[in-house]
Amino acid sequence: MASGYDRALSVFSPDGHVFQVEYAGEAVKRGTCAVGVKGKDVVVLGCEKRSAMKLQDTRITPSKIGLIDKHVCLAFAGLNADARILVDKARLEAQSHRLNLEDPVTIEYITKYVAGVQQRYTQSGGVRPFGISTLIVGFDKGSTTPRLYQTEPSGIYSAWKANAIGRSSKTVREFLERNYKEDMDREATIRLAIKSLLEVVQTGAKNIEIAIMAPGKPVEMLPVEDIESYVKNIEQEKQEEAAKKKTGRTPGTGTAAILTRSAQEES
Amino acid sequence: MSRRYDSRTTIFSPDGRLYQVEYALEAISHAGTAIGILAKDGIVLAAERKVTSKLLEQDTSAEKLYILNDNMICAVAGMTADANILINYARQAAQRYLLTYNEDIPCEQLVRRLCDLKQGYTQHGGLRPFGVSFIYAGWDPQRQFQLYLSNPSGNYGGWKATSSGANHASAQSLLKQDYKEDCTLDEACAMAVKVLSKTMDSTKLSSDKIEFATVGQTKDGKIYHKLWTADEITALLKKHDLAKEDTSEEK
Amino acid sequence: MRGPTILKATDDKTRQLNDHTLLAFSGEPGDTVQFAEYIQANSQLYSMRNESELSPSALAHFVRGELASSLRSRNPYSVNLLLGGVDPITNKPSLYWLDYLASLAKVPYAAHGYAQYYCLSLLDKHHNPNISLEEGLRLLKLCSDELKRRLPIDFKGLAVKAVTKDGIKAMPFDEDDKVVRDT
Repeated sequence: MASGYDRALSVFSPDGHVFQVEYAGEAVKRGTCAVGVKGKDVVVLGCEKRSAMKLQDTRITPSKIGLIDKHVCLAFAGLNADARILVDKARLEAQSHRLNLEDPVTIEYITKYVAGVQQRYTQSGGVRPFGISTLIVGFDKGSTTPRLYQTEPSGIYSAWKANAIGRSSKTVREFLERNYKEDMDREATIRLAIKSLLEVVQTGAKNIEIAIMAPGKPVEMLPVEDIESYVKNIEQEKQEEAAKKKTGRTPGTGTAAILTRSAQEES
Repeated sequence: MSRRYDSRTTIFSPDGRLYQVEYALEAISHAGTAIGILAKDGIVLAAERKVTSKLLEQDTSAEKLYILNDNMICAVAGMTADANILINYARQAAQRYLLTYNEDIPCEQLVRRLCDLKQGYTQHGGLRPFGVSFIYAGWDPQRQFQLYLSNPSGNYGGWKATSSGANHASAQSLLKQDYKEDCTLDEACAMAVKVLSKTMDSTKLSSDKIEFATVGQTKDGKIYHKLWTADEITALLKKHDLAKEDTSEEK
Repeated sequence: MRGPTILKATDDKTRQLNDHTLLAFSGEPGDTVQFAEYIQANSQLYSMRNESELSPSALAHFVRGELASSLRSRNPYSVNLLLGGVDPITNKPSLYWLDYLASLAKVPYAAHGYAQYYCLSLLDKHHNPNISLEEGLRLLKLCSDELKRRLPIDFKGLAVKAVTKDGIKAMPFDEDDKVVRDT
């Protein structure tokens, strides 16, 4: 890596790594966890919320789930300030698309745009990559097919049935892999999202945020009391399962922190 | 390993951290303490000013507290020179908004403008981050009185009571202990001087060591902000029995 | 060359700027839509970015600013506008009148084009500050009747939308009544 800021900060190392991009991935893993789950005709975003300190004013503390347009919702993991900038660019693109094309963006289009911006920051002079991964969900205009995409600091984007990013995302993803079912209804989808978050969020409902999107409807943020009742329900079920443990195996939670340490994830 | 990642512009370290930003935070933790407290009828900002020499003119200008807009003031912790740049930027942004919409800029938007600029300095090459944290106090019709804290990374958050600068950890725990929901502006002022007196090195406060400002609402509903004069601060300190005795020989 | 030909009688000459503000326009057909949609996009961008809406007053001043800078450019928009909305915080309704020279006025009632000559006197006479939505619609009916009676060109009727604190909705208005009978 040569000195001088007019050079790209992220260049290939002799063994073919782009270190800055990989390190940005580490920044993502330090961020709070976010999950996205698709159901039959619903898609749910869930977020781990850093516990608000007593003196924090919760009504004006920015959320990790935001709207790009009325029909597109985004959750991120990583550096908050970076995300703000990226989300703002995406919002501008969404409205500009509406103005120029007379149609709202498709979820794939805006994902591609976000990923494109992220890619540019891995290859331009004098900038570091965005230290965030995003989950982008929503419904295309006139469609009832739920969409869920992920973008990464490298600019890679991919479509998912369910996925997690951020702290302990590997544990959560493995949990989702075990428990995902096709064509879940609204209840089951929300439940799975919350249940998977509980793998890493020990403190329960007050540290979870849930956003639900359905075709043609505005985003719905689940009230904390509702999350509470889901959590209670899930915990009760876990206890019952633990009671008749002899046959079934319960998903382990204790090793969460260690699992994510295994550096690269290829999925 | 450190030199490779902390000697130049802001780039990620192998564990995904931004050292430059962390060092900027470190710089701030040596600066004078600033605190802000949200009350139900207003907000108080208070800051410690480091008196370096007796010869320094004391009353000419505020050093830690600035007016950003008709509806917003802020307290600075960190490098004053960096702060000046940001304050100038914020004032311009606020006026531009006023020109465009004929309304005062909502508090969070002004905070966000500044934070977006701060963020830019952590991502674009060749620049160091701004070495300042701000505590903002403002009012807008949507959310009434609001208190924000922002730091060099470009993160910000809303608070009921917060602190920045030297001893901010102890200030924060004092605030946590004493803060009451729905306190009045007067009570908040009392709390502010009390916390400052405990976190500052000197046992007795005097008006040349602290700066004080409030945002409040007059009886007919108008929002005002006020940077306190030395006499007003002295009166407040006297009232709470924290002032330096007039008779003490040495300042 | 279109000449004196009716191309479309049901063109919607309004754009919704956000949940509580509506912009109606008249003027050069190309300019109007282009300008209104530009304003609409900016208003919606603001709503998305800030998770809050611009007030009607703020939007009116924004539009005025845009018109004013357009006026001083090489090819200015020739657009007359009415902007009506309900403030999302105070729930107070307001109406703004803007013309292509970027004048802005906050008014209790307004009209653009030839309609002014026929309607303003009616509005002067029948409007009062506490008028209800129903009374307003009745007054609008008086206006449209007057236009049918007097306007030398073929009058295709009105599209009516109401902005309330609950949002914007199209109102049924005088749909089939083409001829005004003598009173």
